[in-house]
Amino acid sequence: MTPVATRLAGLLALVAAGCSGRPPEPPPTPPNVVATIREQHLPNIELVTHEGRRVRFYDDLVKGKVVAINFMFATCRNACPESTQHLVEVQHALGDRMGRDVTFLSISLDAERDTPEVLRGYAEAHGAGPGWYFLTGKHDDIELLRHKLGAYELDPVIDADRTQHTGLVILGNEPAGRWKAITALGKPVRIRQAIERTILPVTEWPTGAAVVNEVPYEENERGKEVVTADEVAKLLVRDP
Amino acid sequence: MFSRRDILKIGLASGAYGALGPGPRRRVFADNLPSSPRTTPFVVALPIAPIAQPTAAFATRADPGDCVNADGSTAFHVHGPRVVPTNSQFFLIHEQARPHSFHPQLPANVIWGYNGMAPGPTFIARSGTPFLVRFVNDLPQNDPVGIGEPISAIHRHGGFQAEEDDGYPIDTFCTGQSRDYFYPNEPADGLVQNEESTLWYHDHAIDITGPNVYRGLAGFYLSFDAVDSIAGELDTNPQALRLPGRMVSLPSGEQFREFDVPIVIQDKLFDRNGFLVFDTFDHNGFLGDKFVLNGAIQPFFRVARRKYRFRFLNGSNARFYQLFLSNGQPFVAIATDDSLLEHPVTVKSFEIGPAERVEVVIDFTNTTLGQEIFLVNRLQQTDGRKPDGLVSPGTQLLKFIVDRDAADPSRVPDTLRPVTVGPQQLLPQVKVKRTFEFERSDGAWVINGEFFDENRIDAKPKRGTPEIWTLKSGGGWAHPVHVHLTDFFILSRNDSTPPVLERGRKDTVAIGGPDFGDVKILLPFPANFRAVPRPVTGRFVFHCHNIEHEDMRMMGQFDVQP
Repeated sequence: MTPVATRLAGLLALVAAGCSGRPPEPPPTPPNVVATIREQHLPNIELVTHEGRRVRFYDDLVKGKVVAINFMFATCRNACPESTQHLVEVQHALGDRMGRDVTFLSISLDAERDTPEVLRGYAEAHGAGPGWYFLTGKHDDIELLRHKLGAYELDPVIDADRTQHTGLVILGNEPAGRWKAITALGKPVRIRQAIERTILPVTEWPTGAAVVNEVPYEENERGKEVVTADEVAKLLVRDP
Repeated sequence: MFSRRDILKIGLASGAYGALGPGPRRRVFADNLPSSPRTTPFVVALPIAPIAQPTAAFATRADPGDCVNADGSTAFHVHGPRVVPTNSQFFLIHEQARPHSFHPQLPANVIWGYNGMAPGPTFIARSGTPFLVRFVNDLPQNDPVGIGEPISAIHRHGGFQAEEDDGYPIDTFCTGQSRDYFYPNEPADGLVQNEESTLWYHDHAIDITGPNVYRGLAGFYLSFDAVDSIAGELDTNPQALRLPGRMVSLPSGEQFREFDVPIVIQDKLFDRNGFLVFDTFDHNGFLGDKFVLNGAIQPFFRVARRKYRFRFLNGSNARFYQLFLSNGQPFVAIATDDSLLEHPVTVKSFEIGPAERVEVVIDFTNTTLGQEIFLVNRLQQTDGRKPDGLVSPGTQLLKFIVDRDAADPSRVPDTLRPVTVGPQQLLPQVKVKRTFEFERSDGAWVINGEFFDENRIDAKPKRGTPEIWTLKSGGGWAHPVHVHLTDFFILSRNDSTPPVLERGRKDTVAIGGPDFGDVKILLPFPANFRAVPRPVTGRFVFHCHNIEHEDMRMMGQFDVQP
């Protein structure tokens, strides 16, 4: 906003307030997205990495970084293996950018069973390399974080089922204030492309048809059926 | 006198005496966003967007192909300069960040608007005169507000246009780039019944449509023809409907449309200092607690004692409305979405979901000078799932002030736009039916179990043939489903005849939850474009128009076969 516009708005507000004769208050400053998101969505909860290191979510893991966050738990039999497998593929595709340009944060929803040791085993079993942290902590803290990051269901019954929360990857470029969520269950190529766009300077964004065509063309007309004459006749009778 | 209990009831139902409205219910964790600051209702006049002005013809350009989208993709349709018939009109629209006043008690907010305005300038098109519109992206990179991304695709919602001009979500242009859109302004397949009425244009860039539209990127596109004409109530052509509305010249020389008023309703949230708030972490559907009509919070509108045509557009991301008049007067509905109805329908109220349009005539003839009548929303909605139900008294969105008399040569004829090729004619040609299930899956949104992928085709209808689609929703969620390229007829809702306002041609339909249920629609896929002759083929999307759902990939695409 231009300073003139801000002053104009302040003036208008005063006029609307009825020119009560109070001295003019300084016009409010528009919020900064980085600060707003930090305040509202990035609680500085305490977590423990799979290497046993105690860390703070905001201060140590997110501040000044580009992150890809997902929720998981080691015994998850539903979406988790697929999500983790997709992230493993993305990790390989990112090569030495992992840990340097982007950090993966996989946060356990099973604080009780997923001790740092269990998570270390899980990380090793999946070949998670540098720049990928598996994290555990206090149940309530992690629940708070999960809701703040948008990985929740409005229906409390569904929300109580933690397998429902393992399908998102939340991408954030913290210093730029840019955050978005994508599905972890989509094609790994698309996850990598979205991460690249989050971490690379604008001038280095990959371009061209090759980006689209990295996923092979596919047709999937599921839900298609042939209409019977009988069916049409029924609809015709009903239509006035 | 109100008892304490009455006041509580009113407060619960509608916020502070209707000033705040049914606000979002506060949940323990998710939306700990505070309510907007109080604003005095009805202190600003309803803004009316200026009419888009044509410019001198210019040479059209090839599409940019190197704008990288939020998901890393780049444009699919990268066409050369458009072929433009000689009778076309040219327009130049700049997407700009500009200060905007939503209310005099709030500070100016920097919105993103077409020509810097929210809503953008209103296009007034005449069937038979094509438009070539160049949209230029002047939006800032590294915007400090952080609502939206400066990546654009323009969809003319409800319009009949070729695949490269449809705002296909990955066909984007970035800051410093532009894209030319050719709008034929012709009815699909040359059928008079398909003449368009109220369209709108808005951003459609992949994954970021929600914040971009919320930031202001939306405007009206009104289409007229010989019958529903620009001359409107003053038309001397005996075939003309003479619905309320006429063009007048302002002292400045600008044209203004009087007695025919487009109104876009949006809900927005502001922080305690009055700055716009959006929650990019909310994938359920973002709700605001301030009701913004044509860019102003709860405005007033001075009317004469005569008939008016109002074109209501629900331009909200996720909220449904049910609108009433405070004096109990009915509305005479004349159009739904982009199509005039066959016959006017008198209703006490109407429901309008995201992206839907309902056109009504309100007759102020029998009111008294000085009378105040409110447009009231009585539908409560507390989260992105679905509307909760009617409350009383609801929220006053707009105050009409009757302040003068004016001649009224307008009329509302009994027959508006006859349907000559309807279900009776189309059903015997149907060979294919499809079922699409709109569901939540693992925190995001799918259609038939699939997230949108630009390289996957979900249906291959044949040009010039009709199909029946059954649209279903799981989990009690409501989804306003929008199909690009073609209008459709609603054959049934929950296996019953659709309600009276859903018997015309539509481009958006609400499904799901106990109220909307499953919907069966009949889609006549068009065969030919005529202004620039070519067969109708190619890729178009269909999606949920709860934009947070759309951005979380509740979108599919069909590839129209030659």
